[in-house]
Amino acid sequence: MAKTAKASKSDSSSKKKKMKKSSKSGPKAKDMKLKAPKENPFETIWSRRKFDILGKKRKGEQRRIGEARSSAIEKRKKTLLKEYEQSAKSSMFVDKRIGENDEGLGEFDKAIMRSQRERQVKLKKNKYNLSDEDEEDFEIGASLGRDDFDEEVPFDEDEEDYGRDDKSAILGQLNSHGSQNAQAGPMEAEENRKKSKKEVMEEIIQKSKFFKAQKAKDREENDELTEQLDKDFTSLVNSKALLSLTQPDKIHALKALVNKNISVGNVKKDEVADAPRKGPIGKEKPDTYEMLVSEMALDIRARPSNRTKTPEEIAQEEKERLELLEQERQKRMAAADDGSDEDGNASDDNSKSIKDPRTISGDDLGDDLEEAPRGKLGWIAEILRKKESELEGEDAASTGDSESEEDDGEDEGSDDGEDEESEESDEEQGKTQTIKDWEQSDDDIIDTEEEDDDEGSGDDAKKVMKIKDHKQVAVKGKEDGTLQTKKEKTTVKDQQSELPYTIEAPKTLEEFTSLIDNCSDDQVIEAIKRIRAFNAITVAAENKKKMQVFYGVLLQYFAVLANKKPLNFKLLNLLVKPLMEMSAATPYFAAICARQRLQRTRAQSCEDIKLTGKSSWPSLKTIFLLRLWSMIFPCSDFRHCVMTPAILLMCEYLMRCPIICGRDIAIASFLCSLLLSVTKLSQKFCPEAIVFLQTLLMAALDKEHRSENIQLNNLMEIKELEPLLCIRSSNVEIDSLDFLELVDLPEDSQYFQSDNYRASMLVTVLETLQGFVDVYKELVSFPEIFTPISKLLCKLAGENHIPEELREKMKDVSQLIDTKSQEHHMLRQPLKMRKKKPVPIRMVNPKFEENYVKGRDYDPDRERAEKKKLRKRIKEEAKGAVRELRKDNEFLSKAKERERALLAAEKAEKYGKDLAFLQEQEHAFKSGQLGKGKGQKRRR
Amino acid sequence: MVRAYKVKGEKRKKKGENYDKEEEIEVPLEEEESTKRVKTEHSEADTEAAERVVDLLSGIPVVATDQTNKPGVIFIIERASLEIAKIGKTYQLLNSDEHSNFLKKNGRNPSDYRPDIAHQAMLSILDSRVNKAGRLKALYVRTEKGVLFEVKPHVRIPRTFKRFSGIMLQLLQKLSITAVGKREKLLRVIKNPVTQYLPIDCRKIGFSHSSEKLVDIQDYVNGVNNDMNLVFVVGAMAHGKIDKDYVEDYLSISDYPLSAAYCISMITNAMERKWNIL
Repeated sequence: MAKTAKASKSDSSSKKKKMKKSSKSGPKAKDMKLKAPKENPFETIWSRRKFDILGKKRKGEQRRIGEARSSAIEKRKKTLLKEYEQSAKSSMFVDKRIGENDEGLGEFDKAIMRSQRERQVKLKKNKYNLSDEDEEDFEIGASLGRDDFDEEVPFDEDEEDYGRDDKSAILGQLNSHGSQNAQAGPMEAEENRKKSKKEVMEEIIQKSKFFKAQKAKDREENDELTEQLDKDFTSLVNSKALLSLTQPDKIHALKALVNKNISVGNVKKDEVADAPRKGPIGKEKPDTYEMLVSEMALDIRARPSNRTKTPEEIAQEEKERLELLEQERQKRMAAADDGSDEDGNASDDNSKSIKDPRTISGDDLGDDLEEAPRGKLGWIAEILRKKESELEGEDAASTGDSESEEDDGEDEGSDDGEDEESEESDEEQGKTQTIKDWEQSDDDIIDTEEEDDDEGSGDDAKKVMKIKDHKQVAVKGKEDGTLQTKKEKTTVKDQQSELPYTIEAPKTLEEFTSLIDNCSDDQVIEAIKRIRAFNAITVAAENKKKMQVFYGVLLQYFAVLANKKPLNFKLLNLLVKPLMEMSAATPYFAAICARQRLQRTRAQSCEDIKLTGKSSWPSLKTIFLLRLWSMIFPCSDFRHCVMTPAILLMCEYLMRCPIICGRDIAIASFLCSLLLSVTKLSQKFCPEAIVFLQTLLMAALDKEHRSENIQLNNLMEIKELEPLLCIRSSNVEIDSLDFLELVDLPEDSQYFQSDNYRASMLVTVLETLQGFVDVYKELVSFPEIFTPISKLLCKLAGENHIPEELREKMKDVSQLIDTKSQEHHMLRQPLKMRKKKPVPIRMVNPKFEENYVKGRDYDPDRERAEKKKLRKRIKEEAKGAVRELRKDNEFLSKAKERERALLAAEKAEKYGKDLAFLQEQEHAFKSGQLGKGKGQKRRR
Repeated sequence: MVRAYKVKGEKRKKKGENYDKEEEIEVPLEEEESTKRVKTEHSEADTEAAERVVDLLSGIPVVATDQTNKPGVIFIIERASLEIAKIGKTYQLLNSDEHSNFLKKNGRNPSDYRPDIAHQAMLSILDSRVNKAGRLKALYVRTEKGVLFEVKPHVRIPRTFKRFSGIMLQLLQKLSITAVGKREKLLRVIKNPVTQYLPIDCRKIGFSHSSEKLVDIQDYVNGVNNDMNLVFVVGAMAHGKIDKDYVEDYLSISDYPLSAAYCISMITNAMERKWNIL
């Protein structure tokens, strides 16, 4: 207990120390606080504040220097001076009276304590004395009673040992009594003390006993619980509740199980009270129970499904999807120049050619074709690639050279359509093979025919050969084609046979045609649908190849259909949809098909151009295919493996094919509008179309008026034309033209010569032109491109026989061009000399903290700031210590001085006294009183 | 260290107003930096050289374009009400909007505490074309309490008032503000009086609506000698006027009492016109 008392004492002292630390300026501050009330103005000094801050209380503003000094001296007198005085002494008086050092005790308390101690000493003395019963009793009682108030008694050092011994004895007694109960109170009190071995052992034993008891209790409870559970379960099984939830056969098993359980449980309960519960049941009957459990585990649970979406959410998703697609399109339109060549592009990636069917599916081929030369049409600004242009150049050269050589009469006679058709059959062969065999198959044919043809010369040799091949094959296939067409023609629509529901994908065109021989249009579509459904790519992997082949067949069928003389336009329209969807499914293959066809078509057209007198304009089939591709593939891509060559091909037609009759004009203007529709989105510049339109307008001029423009024509490479569109009579009516009808008309039809046709054609041309104007109005070079056309239009409007409606239209268009070019001219700025702008001075940001407080360290490096702070404190402390030491020294030296002075004074006094005595002696001696004046001296 | 007993040369105190030791050190640094920049922006230097050649060819006499030789303007903002106080536990720049209760409690007139005027005035000076062209030599601000501080012309003073009060708070406690990432002092409290920092050949012009001399500032500025430095003294207080003895000439430039910021913009506009700064 004494120890605890001491500890508490030390605690309190440490607290005091802490308090001292917390008050910053130590004794000074304390002194100030103590003596704050009386203010002596002479003891204070003020310092003038330089930057007065409102509301700030400054610490140590008024320092009471005199007061602080005097208090410091007082303190030193108490401590330092005493020590100094003691330093010379060999021993010192220590007051060891009980309670004398304690300030808080009164005289009476001290007296009590002293008497107690006296008694204790007495007891100690007769510890080994034998004594009476009474005395012993008294002793125990006293020792126990003393225990209570012992805590307050501050023992001196000598007494402490005794106290401890005494107490340990008492506690030992207590322990032996209270070990059974093991109460917390005494244990706690005991903790401060070191435990003896015996005590520790006792404690351990006690603990282990306690845990054992706990365990037994737990087990008992557990058993009870399981029993309870079993009971509940049986009651549950017997009730109807479970029956409704589980299957009947299971419930039987359960019941059986429960009954068994109960019986077994009853039998074994007594024996296996302690054994783990699962033992008896699990081991005895593993089959029924476990089977049940496993069955239950295997029961199918209801799976969470996706939340049904609200219509808004679906719409939102759809919108997002469309936005994403549009973004992708824009990106492709912008075109990274680093993309590979056209050839590389073909194999670039499928994703490029994958088109969402939705964006285009809204279009219908028929609608477009019906109003084919309508106003709003396409745009082009395709940059001709070097390779392409080179090729073209070569071709152009070759056409000139080899024109005379190419005079196979047989081909000339053959109908365009049949020619193409036969080509299809050729193609079909290729398609039955795998895609990779495309080139190879061509080469094979070349090889076989090589010996026969020997015209191939120079660079063009191979190309020419290829073309030859096709022609040869074409001749061979001609018969088939005609046969087929005949067959188809003869088939009567009424004899429609029932379609099978599961149709294997046909591998060749013959198969397909035989399949749909007698079918109506709707049935054909139905058949295609079924084929696609039956052979869906998602169903089986090998279907992909099948579908690719079928796609080729379908495309071929489309081409064949386009060339048939009585055009089945409705079927064509219907075919577009499956074709588009299938190309979306097999984009890569679709692109390859398209490219191959394009190449072939181009080769064909090159050949045709060489032959004078034959119309080299594309056939209806080619036009339809071009249109189909423009719907299947994205037109606005900067570079696309199909559309780029397609556009180039169209431009080439416009540039190179000579216009001979009115029908050519119709085809050409259709091509123009197709170009317009293709280039509308991407705003690609397509000079061929513009130049061609200009040429057409020129054709509407009279011969004599044209002479002025010749120079310009030379510059622009515009071909001179017959005044094919020149209107000569004044009574003209304008009607919308049907492209299909026009194409169907024979070349030398009278209609093409009529003014009605010319006027209507002019209207379509003007509308296309307007479309181009609208598309290209953003181009910087717009005025340069369109001003000549505007001039031409003005002149044309001045012609004699132009109908009023047409004149209006022309004026409108030229007006439009003029205003637009005016705008461009307005925006253009003259070239300026480069001028250097004066450079403003560089501004610098100041560095400041928010809520700056003076004295806080704003160093971002916390560690450094901390170090700095510590260093500062060390310095401060050191300074303080030095100051204190100096003051101590001063004080000590003063004290020493005082002592010395005292000593000196004493010495001087003694000296004076002695001297005075001696002087007196001498005086007496000299005056002769020494011997005689005894009485006198005594008197003094 | 104490100076040796007799060292030749002036005393450190009397060396003049070179209170900025680090400036001397920094100058070569900056030069180095600029040369580096020139190296990196080589093309720019080339074009510059080309233009110089063009200038020479065209027969236009080459004029020294050193801006330091040109006369400049100095602005002194007098009686700016920038005062900080400890409100609650934090220090704040006193401001009539937020601290009117505190000011009333302390027996002050809240309407006198308008740091926003000084803020606007400083912004309009530092944003002016005169400053951008490097013709602002210095800007001094003297608070109502008499604390004088210098603002370097290339400081970007915070544009929001809150941040401005933050910077003023720090300036008035710490007495200087450095640049971000440099040791250069951008704002610094200096000793009074302000006249010791003004160049010798300068004309000190004060502005007061109460002045009898009502002039068109443009005419007045044009009339001043071209190589004279001009010192404009403008008050940034809500009420009252400036009367400083160092001001040589008091002007009134409008029939109406003007705000400090607008008055300053008039002055700077006049100077820009005079010097053809566009």
